Amino acid sequence: MLRRTHLYDFHARKGHMIEFAGFEMPLWYEGTVPECKAVRNSVGIFDTSHMGRALVSGDDSTAFLNYITTNDVAALEVGRAHYSVMCNENGGIIDDFIVNRLAEKQYLIIPNAGNREKDLSWLRAKATQFKVEIHHVSDEVSMFAVQGPNAQKVLQEMFSEDLSTIPRFGGRNVNLDGIKATVTRTGYTGEDGFEVFTWDSPVEQPSKAVTMWNAILDHGKASHIQPCGLGARDVLRLEAGMCLYGHDITESITPLQARLGFVARLAKSEFIGRDVLAREKADGPKRVRVGLKLLEAGIPRAECDVLRDSRILGKVTSGTFSPTIGQGIAMGYVPREYSKTGERLEIKVRGKELQAEVTGFPFYDTSKYGWQRTQR
Amino acid sequence: MKVNDYEVPEGLYYTKEHEWVKLEGGNCRIGVSDYAQKSLHEVVFVDLPKVRAKIVRSQSLGSVESVKAVADVFAPISGEVTEVNAKLADTPELVNQQPYGDGWIAVIKPSNLEAELKNLLDAKSYADFLRTQVK
Repeated sequence: MLRRTHLYDFHARKGHMIEFAGFEMPLWYEGTVPECKAVRNSVGIFDTSHMGRALVSGDDSTAFLNYITTNDVAALEVGRAHYSVMCNENGGIIDDFIVNRLAEKQYLIIPNAGNREKDLSWLRAKATQFKVEIHHVSDEVSMFAVQGPNAQKVLQEMFSEDLSTIPRFGGRNVNLDGIKATVTRTGYTGEDGFEVFTWDSPVEQPSKAVTMWNAILDHGKASHIQPCGLGARDVLRLEAGMCLYGHDITESITPLQARLGFVARLAKSEFIGRDVLAREKADGPKRVRVGLKLLEAGIPRAECDVLRDSRILGKVTSGTFSPTIGQGIAMGYVPREYSKTGERLEIKVRGKELQAEVTGFPFYDTSKYGWQRTQR
Repeated sequence: MKVNDYEVPEGLYYTKEHEWVKLEGGNCRIGVSDYAQKSLHEVVFVDLPKVRAKIVRSQSLGSVESVKAVADVFAPISGEVTEVNAKLADTPELVNQQPYGDGWIAVIKPSNLEAELKNLLDAKSYADFLRTQVK
């Protein structure tokens, strides 16, 4: 029996539905290409309620989260968030997610949809020695993403709270005619934008979530706001160089190999996986994640071989056609020696070895696209 | 004729893999059907066969791709590729806009048409087949 989010009726009416992580979700409404363009040029809205939401609170909440995640939770101020990963004892990534500090002793973490149960089991198993409470609130709090250069403009019309002073990864509580919500300047597209959490909105009684969604669509009309599906979500994050769990990162990959070293704070207090990561940092990871841009026509896909002079070096873990740069793009893993920007490699696509080049992230020109162009 | 929203023009032959074949003098122009292009949605890339390539019926001669999916184009007949639609390099969306017209994929000089024609469906048979595929 597939699960549904608060906005299922809207998706079923307007979207092309598929199954994802046990949920019925929209793959596209108008089409992946126009939806990507809408986000990069104006604003799009995504229902991301299929993802998990867990509240971690109590006296030891900071110490606990600092023990099970790699980023420095003690350094996170109230009203701020950071990107982080949770590793196992071998340094392999169990999940990647955003950690939001809602209060001194209260955090909201957002597991990937496919890892809801896995993460909760891990959290509960590791919490036994800590004074913490873990509440799974995925089905009581809805979550939308509003992304694009006009995202703030659209949301500001709805709330009296000033959104312009929220820094990247900052958050603020807001109120929409009595509906309590929290907005964070976070996202999975590389554009400026917000994630909107509507509290007290159970899936069985979704009226608050629906009201919030409809209000955003309404206020977004002038900016031609586009509902966006999972197809656009995947293309946009790949263009931005962001990982997709289960593809670019898994329990067999460490954050250093994934080029996520910036979330592995080896100098902080003890955390699960630290010893392995410290050794790997000292030796240097043997293989690393790279961005690859095709130099000829074709679309690289996951599992395609990455080669040099017909010798297999590694595999593509995510690939697509990028509507923003008009080229096939991919992420994959190669031995560190081949990971320099500009390195020429080949990707074997459907039997043909196509020329490709290692590039940095994001794939698009940051003076034209992405949050950097607004210099926040 | 139409099956739900899908066009199935008369006078063409079809395959169960949703390719169409138009007999033009001694040659066969091929493409993918309206059902195929609608299922794929936005075509962003077409991998064309090479001119003079020898192809065998039922083998993949290329692909039509959307952002998220790849659909093989299977050779409906055996023969040699004499022409490919170069316009698809710059405007792959022609496959969506005119699947039976300017979105054609290749022209094949058949090597065994008389025998292989038996394997193809006429418009009515393809329409009947389509009805079993759509809900």
